[in-house]
Amino acid sequence: MAVPALDVFQVIADPSRREMMRMLSEKSLPINSLAEHFDMSRPAVSKHIKIMYNAGFISIEDIGRERYCTLKKDGFDELQKWISFFDNFWKTKLKDLETLLNNKIKKS
Amino acid sequence: MERSINHKVFYPHPPEVVWDYLTKAELMEQWLMKNNFELKLGHDFQFTVGPIPSMDFDGIVYCKVLEIEPLKKLTYSWKCGPGNGKITIDSIVYWTLLAKDNGTELLLENSGFKEANFNVVIFNAMEQGWLANMNKIYKILNETKNGSTGA
Repeated sequence: MAVPALDVFQVIADPSRREMMRMLSEKSLPINSLAEHFDMSRPAVSKHIKIMYNAGFISIEDIGRERYCTLKKDGFDELQKWISFFDNFWKTKLKDLETLLNNKIKKS
Repeated sequence: MERSINHKVFYPHPPEVVWDYLTKAELMEQWLMKNNFELKLGHDFQFTVGPIPSMDFDGIVYCKVLEIEPLKKLTYSWKCGPGNGKITIDSIVYWTLLAKDNGTELLLENSGFKEANFNVVIFNAMEQGWLANMNKIYKILNETKNGSTGA
């Protein structure tokens, strides 16, 4: 089945895909388990999964005979790591500036 | 999920003094980082520190001056990454100075993180069920409109 290239808006516009991602936000699931929750043909489920995969929303991994889908949260975690880092960075730097300014006054 | 950094500090020094420490390269270096900043709109400059391998950070912050309002406002882009010009963090730093109580209130905002930003918004929306709710409302509105014919 041909899989159209969709932008992120189009990817999330579909209620079935949103429901799939909501389910995957709880835990990774094999494509078969995902498919059971939806009243659609297996090729139709595969197409949705391919669309989400192509748009970078999920990763797919073969474990045994099952193909597991996982919501890609790496991007979010990575960003959070950086934000914490810079948060501390700025806090320290602003304190350094305070020390510097105060010393300047004492000297003058 | 927190997506912006905000700090507010008060310095018992006039905005002129604080402004100098935000806009003169040699003064900035004393508390921030080594840099080649110039107070010119559109000026590209870098801050350099030691690389931090655990963060996948090569130690160079790539910036461009985006806004200058003397003694009041300074904005520059703030980008960095693991090296070879690859950018993983693409954000903006906003400085705002307010004269207050014989001193300066300095506001720092580091925000606009572009990396995965859109995904984060979607992800949060999904977690909170907002998107689903909005879709429901949209549907109800549509059905009401179409249903008014009595079909």
